[in-house]
Amino acid sequence: MAASVVTWAGLTAIGRVCGHIRSRVLGCSSTLSQVSCLHTSTELNSKHWERKNLIVYPPQQKDEPRRSAEIYHCRRQIKYSKDKMWYLAKLIRGMTIDQALTQLEFNDKKGATIIKEVLLEAQDMAVRNHNVEYKSNLYIAESFSAKGKYLKRIRYHGRGMFGIMDKVHCHYFVRLIEGVPPKVEQKTGFDQAKEYVEQLRNRTIIHSL
Amino acid sequence: MQCVASLLDVRLPQPVLVPIRTKKRYFIPPAVNVKQKTQSEQEDKARAAGVVVRQQYIERAINIACTAGIFDPYVPPEGDARLSTLSREGLKQRTEQLRQSAASQLAFRKIKDHDTEFSTKGFPTVAQQIFIDAHAALTQFDKEKLHSLVTERCYPEMVRGNRYKTLRWRFVESLEPPRVVHARCPDMVSKGNLYGQVTVRMHSRQTLAVYDRFGRLMLGDEDEPRDVLEYIVLERHLVNPYGRWRLHGKIVPAWAPPKDPIVKTLMIPGPKLKPEEDFADLNYQVPKPKAVQWSK
Repeated sequence: MAASVVTWAGLTAIGRVCGHIRSRVLGCSSTLSQVSCLHTSTELNSKHWERKNLIVYPPQQKDEPRRSAEIYHCRRQIKYSKDKMWYLAKLIRGMTIDQALTQLEFNDKKGATIIKEVLLEAQDMAVRNHNVEYKSNLYIAESFSAKGKYLKRIRYHGRGMFGIMDKVHCHYFVRLIEGVPPKVEQKTGFDQAKEYVEQLRNRTIIHSL
Repeated sequence: MQCVASLLDVRLPQPVLVPIRTKKRYFIPPAVNVKQKTQSEQEDKARAAGVVVRQQYIERAINIACTAGIFDPYVPPEGDARLSTLSREGLKQRTEQLRQSAASQLAFRKIKDHDTEFSTKGFPTVAQQIFIDAHAALTQFDKEKLHSLVTERCYPEMVRGNRYKTLRWRFVESLEPPRVVHARCPDMVSKGNLYGQVTVRMHSRQTLAVYDRFGRLMLGDEDEPRDVLEYIVLERHLVNPYGRWRLHGKIVPAWAPPKDPIVKTLMIPGPKLKPEEDFADLNYQVPKPKAVQWSK
C-alpha cells in the first residue's frame, strides 16, 4: 500500500509539472497576505490576478471554521484614466456588492458603468463556478486600478511644435469575499485627541535625577 | 478668358510653389504615416506581391476509437435490487432475462470471435476492477491513466466541472458479485468496423465526498458508505488488436431513487410576475422531472 502511494505521488507530481495550472496552496499563505507585514503593491499583484482564481485548497476538516470563498476578477485595457478610475475604486472599497452596485448605477462617471459590468460578471462567476451560495453575501475586499498600455499620438501645437499625446488605458481589479464585510472602526476626533494626550502622558524622562 | 489673354499677350502669374519652412521633427509616432488599408485592399496587395495563402481546411476530427453513445441500452427491470437473489422469483427473473436476450447471445458470440479471452464468467470481475481503477484515477486526476481506462465519450462526462474541485471516493466492498446482463455489437460508419458494448450490473458500497475549490464540502460524506446499484457499460473496439475494454457509460434506470440534494441552496427560475400579481397567490408548483431512463 505504501509503495503504491509513493508512485501515485510521483506520477501526480510529474503530471503537474507538465502544465497543469492547478496548484495546491495551503491555507497559511492566504493568512500571511492578510497580515500587513508583506508589502503588496498593485504592480506585483496585477500580473497574475487571473491565476488567483485557479488555486485549489485542500479539503477542510469538520472542526475547522468554514473558509470563505474569494473571487478575483479584472478587466484589462479599459479606455479610461487610472487616476479617474481610482476615485470609483476607492468609493466601493469595503462595501457589500449590492451597495456598490447601487452606488455605481447612480454615479455619472464613465468608469462607473464599466466597474458595474465587472462586478456583475464577478458575481455571476462566483455563483456558477466558485460555489457561492447567496449572490448578495459578497463584499468587496480589494478594488484598485492600474496603468494599462498607452498608445501615443501627436498633439499639434502652434508654431510647428508638437507634443506626444498619451491615449490612456487602465486595468481594474476587484476581489470579492463571501460573507459580511468587516466593520471598520470610525475614529472620532475626540478619540484621536485622547490618544495623543495619553501618548504625551506616557513619556518618561530618562537620565533624570 | 485665356484666348483673350493670349491675344493681348499678357502673362498671367503662374502659381508659385513656396517651400514650407518648419522645424525638423525628431519623433514621429509610427502610426501617423501608415495609411489604413481595408481587408480587400490588403488581399489585393498580397496577391500582387505573389504571396499565396495556403488553402484553409476547416475540418473537425471524428474519434473512431469509441462510439458516440450506448446502442440499444439495457432496460433494467423494476425492483431489481428489491427482490432478494435467494427467493424463487428473483432467481427465475434473472435466468429468464439472460436466456431471453437473443441479441445479447449473438453479441457474445461475435465478441468471442474477436476477443479470445472474453468469457461471461470472468469478465465481470475485470469490469469491476476497471471501474475501481478509473474512479481512483479520477480522484487523483491522472489524465493518461484515465484515458486508458475510460473511453473518449465517457471522459468529458466524468471530468467536467471537476478540475478545481477535490473528489474523495472509496470503494468499500461489493455486496453482490457483478454480473453481465446485456451486450451489443454495433458497427460504425462501415460494415466491418465492430465495437462491443457490454453492460455489467454491480451492487456495491461506496463513499463519495466532493469538496469545492476552498475545501468546503459540496456533496456527500466521507465516512458514510452508501449502497449503490449500477449498470455500467464497457466498450471495446473489437477489430483493433490493441483495443481494450474501457468504461463507456452508465445507465440510470427510470425507477432509480432521487439523488441527495447538494449542501448549498439554489435558485430555480420561477414564473414572470406582472406588477399586480403576488407570488404567494399563484400557488406555483415546482415542476418535477419525468422519470425516464437515461445513460450517463
